[in-house]
Amino acid sequence: MQLDEYRTSLDHWLDDHAAELAPSYRGVGTMDQQLDQLSKVKRSMWGAGWMRWGWPEAVGGLGGSTLLRAYLGEALTTRDLVEPGYWSMPEVLVPTFIAYAPAALSAAMVPAFLGGDEEWCQGFSEPGTGSNLASLSCRAVRTADGWRVSGQKVWTSLAQYAARCLLLTRTGPLESAHRGITALFVDMGSPGITVRPIETMHGSLEFSEVFFDEVLVPLERTIGQENQGWSVAMDLLPYERSTALWHRAALLRRRLQDLVATAAPGALDPAAIGEVTQLMCAFRARSRVTQHRLAAGERLGPETSVDKVLLATVEQALFDLAADALALEVTTGDDPESERWRTQYMYSRAATIYGGSAEIQRNIIARRLLNLGSDR
Amino acid sequence: MHPDDLALFERSLRHATATHSGAGLDAALVELGWREALDSDAEVAVSLLFELQGAANVTSSALGRVIAQGVHCDIPDTTAVVLPAVGRADAPGRSDGGRIHVDGVVTGGRDGWDAALVVAGGGDGHLAVVSDRAALAVRPIRGVDPSLGLIEVSGILTPGDTTRVVDWRAGVALGQVALAHELVGASSRMLDMACEHALGRFQFDRPIASFQAVRHRLAETLVAIETARAILVAAWTDRTPMVAAMAKAVAARGARTTARHCQQVLAGIGFTTEHDLYRYVRRVLVLEQLLGATRTLTRDLGTDVLDTGRVPELLPL
Repeated sequence: MQLDEYRTSLDHWLDDHAAELAPSYRGVGTMDQQLDQLSKVKRSMWGAGWMRWGWPEAVGGLGGSTLLRAYLGEALTTRDLVEPGYWSMPEVLVPTFIAYAPAALSAAMVPAFLGGDEEWCQGFSEPGTGSNLASLSCRAVRTADGWRVSGQKVWTSLAQYAARCLLLTRTGPLESAHRGITALFVDMGSPGITVRPIETMHGSLEFSEVFFDEVLVPLERTIGQENQGWSVAMDLLPYERSTALWHRAALLRRRLQDLVATAAPGALDPAAIGEVTQLMCAFRARSRVTQHRLAAGERLGPETSVDKVLLATVEQALFDLAADALALEVTTGDDPESERWRTQYMYSRAATIYGGSAEIQRNIIARRLLNLGSDR
Repeated sequence: MHPDDLALFERSLRHATATHSGAGLDAALVELGWREALDSDAEVAVSLLFELQGAANVTSSALGRVIAQGVHCDIPDTTAVVLPAVGRADAPGRSDGGRIHVDGVVTGGRDGWDAALVVAGGGDGHLAVVSDRAALAVRPIRGVDPSLGLIEVSGILTPGDTTRVVDWRAGVALGQVALAHELVGASSRMLDMACEHALGRFQFDRPIASFQAVRHRLAETLVAIETARAILVAAWTDRTPMVAAMAKAVAARGARTTARHCQQVLAGIGFTTEHDLYRYVRRVLVLEQLLGATRTLTRDLGTDVLDTGRVPELLPL
């Protein structure tokens, strides 16, 4: 399947099925409604085959370029059918999972995630481990029965909905830092796991604290080698800054278009709109190159930190503009559209925090791309 | 271009821009076949030369050649190409009642020209005219960057037999892309100088490159440069005047960011003429004003988006 053919046929299909794919709610919806919508669209896309393109046959896919996946998320986001952050979680988790998990485990588990039968979550951050991921302390002890996991994770997106978790655990002494980490694949229904959602400033329960109390994880659920979890994490992090960002940019373009169409005459300064449009095109140009590198099988690395810094800049610039031009909607509007502008404005404040803060991205750029040496 | 030819071409350009500026660089470009390359592969010829020219802080009349290429006018080496006046992107000539009023500049401080190509707007479209040099008044511009060798050109012409209709927007677009490459080249060189300084300059027994405040300025600078590079790739893929203008604006804004951060990192020495930074700071101030200032290009784009109610759908995957 070639991209052009895929694009044309998918666009037609989405137009033909617009009514059944549309959300049942207006505006933001509740978390439960959003997750129902996500699952409905994923099942529909998997069932019709669109979601299978770009994934390997070994996990139920139909093969073909990863660009097909990038386009699918773009098309669904542009039509406001899915929230790109939730939609692109497989883009973040699955490529690394396939690369490091035993083949049989991938074949057994991935189709349910891609096909909308279950969600997965990513257990990396901890209360004492934000930017300094290598200091994590959630402990896994090897026993005759399997791993026993005790500790805590935080900022775990969709944990309360997830059936599985890709979890980083401490298996060496704490001083072993990045050398003593092991990645595990944990069933979220296991005894000993408690999930406590945290309410964000935009009123969402998107992420949670997750507590592990002597949770038993079979040894065959080890992802990669014991004590080699750091390479799993390092493999995964660039995926947070590639296709997921391409999908997010599709949302930003859509919202800029909405802003231009919605704002009262004179409410938008042409110079400000011009600058955001330039930034958005520059991000798209940058991310497009990243997508083509990914499709060509290149290994992504620290250069994706540039993509992340740029995307966060565009996102905040866009919603700063919206907060000015649609000030009444954002501050005091109570209709679903106003609520959506408000929610997305507030969410944009986190663009420089999540997925590696703006400061961490700049540290990576300074050390890895500019070769400025250690910062100590 | 064949990879071997490309490597040789780049080496020759690198050598030419490292050793010549102005008329000397113009002569070297004729010698090494840059104009033929411009005909056969504009992307390679423009991107390589202008990045190197920006990085080496040298000047030439190549920008005029690029515009002539964009409007499909084949002119001899001894004909200069008049660019719009500083700060403007509209054609340097204005047709009015059978006469053409000229107000523009040429780059490269060139002296050895006997004729000039002037594109004039007005009425329905654009006309290209070749004028004798004698019909035009010239004045060297010193300004903030005398070494750029800008020359102001003005006069009133009568269109002759050589007049032809051209697509001025295509000429400006190619010129804007060339300037964006030159701005990126200059910015990259500023960043290199600032990084080198940050690694070699010790305070509190550590290189200042180890301080996060310094590192983050330099990281921010790389993001600005990479952003401009990305939109330049897009400009060569998309090849519309809209993306060319965006590339120029983004590269110029990036050059300002670069100049600000690098000047701060280089601190005292970067504020003197004992370090080369000032040449680049001065150069990018003027380049930003050629073929449309950032402010104008950005406002025009925004006005277009607001008037049409459409955000451009560019760069399909």
